[in-house]
Amino acid sequence: MKTKCIHKDLIFYLDNELSEEKRTAIEKHLEECADCQSFLAFLKKGMQVIEMEKNPEVSPFFYTRLSTRLEVKPEYQAQSQWVRLAQPAFFSLLLVLGIYGGLKMGSNASTTNANQQTTSSIQMLNDFEAEPIESFLLNEL
Amino acid sequence: MDESELIKGIQQGDNKAFRLLVETYQRMVVNTCFGIVHSAADAEDLAQDVFLEIFRTAGNFRGDSKISTWLYRIATNRSLNFVRNKKRKGFFQSLEEAFTGGKNLTSEISESRSDRPDQNITDQQRSDLLHRAIDRLPEKQRIAFTLNKYEELPYQQIAEVMEISLASVESLIHRAKKNLQEQLLDCYKKKCV
Repeated sequence: MKTKCIHKDLIFYLDNELSEEKRTAIEKHLEECADCQSFLAFLKKGMQVIEMEKNPEVSPFFYTRLSTRLEVKPEYQAQSQWVRLAQPAFFSLLLVLGIYGGLKMGSNASTTNANQQTTSSIQMLNDFEAEPIESFLLNEL
Repeated sequence: MDESELIKGIQQGDNKAFRLLVETYQRMVVNTCFGIVHSAADAEDLAQDVFLEIFRTAGNFRGDSKISTWLYRIATNRSLNFVRNKKRKGFFQSLEEAFTGGKNLTSEISESRSDRPDQNITDQQRSDLLHRAIDRLPEKQRIAFTLNKYEELPYQQIAEVMEISLASVESLIHRAKKNLQEQLLDCYKKKCV
């Protein structure tokens, strides 16, 4: 009879964190279950990545780079701190000015429209009076 | 030179003391950052930032904990911030690429593989898979797991670094392992490697 797969305990089995009783039960199950064996191998290889990649080699120039940064950084930091404060203030001011300008233009728009209508009607009347085409043509004849 | 003398030296601006501190702990800090960011170059840059912070804030160190605990705390915080910023940038980049029709996932994977010709594709895939699984862990689980697996720290020291109880560390690492196993099982079933 095939017992139920024990995938959920295998990571703890690998790390040797199970009780003796549970460990023996898992080992017995693994002897019979090819799927659990295969997953255990997969898990083992996956976790081995950590063992292979940990403790990467540190550059021999680590301290040299660090000491260079130590000399340069304060000035840069002071500057960046100033920029960090000034930048949001500038953009906030720009935003407020934009909103104010927009409101101002919006309130002017209605009066400008009315003025434009009057102006254009006057201009039309003036044009007609200034250059009456009919009388010009009659005079030509 | 013991720890208190080392810190006193750094507080007084003694470059020799600082150099000694860097040389003693650089491997530890780089390895901790590497466990979270998964890139040797980024880990080294972050480790430099950690030591710069130590140099500038040495005056605030009261000596209640060990130097290594203080270093682990700064290293994990900085690495998590780095990952958060990278994610945020990645989000905007993907939006940009969606609009401009930029590079797709396949080309990205092939590019990252061509960076490391010494490893074969399966090793690289396995490593990518594990990194992705670790990245998906909640932050506290990720820190506890990284300190335990990459630095082989005992639970008690992890508790000191994270300023939580020993029981919480046990619970975090247990849940981290369970989560990782679930993700790896999912991948195993889908035969993604």
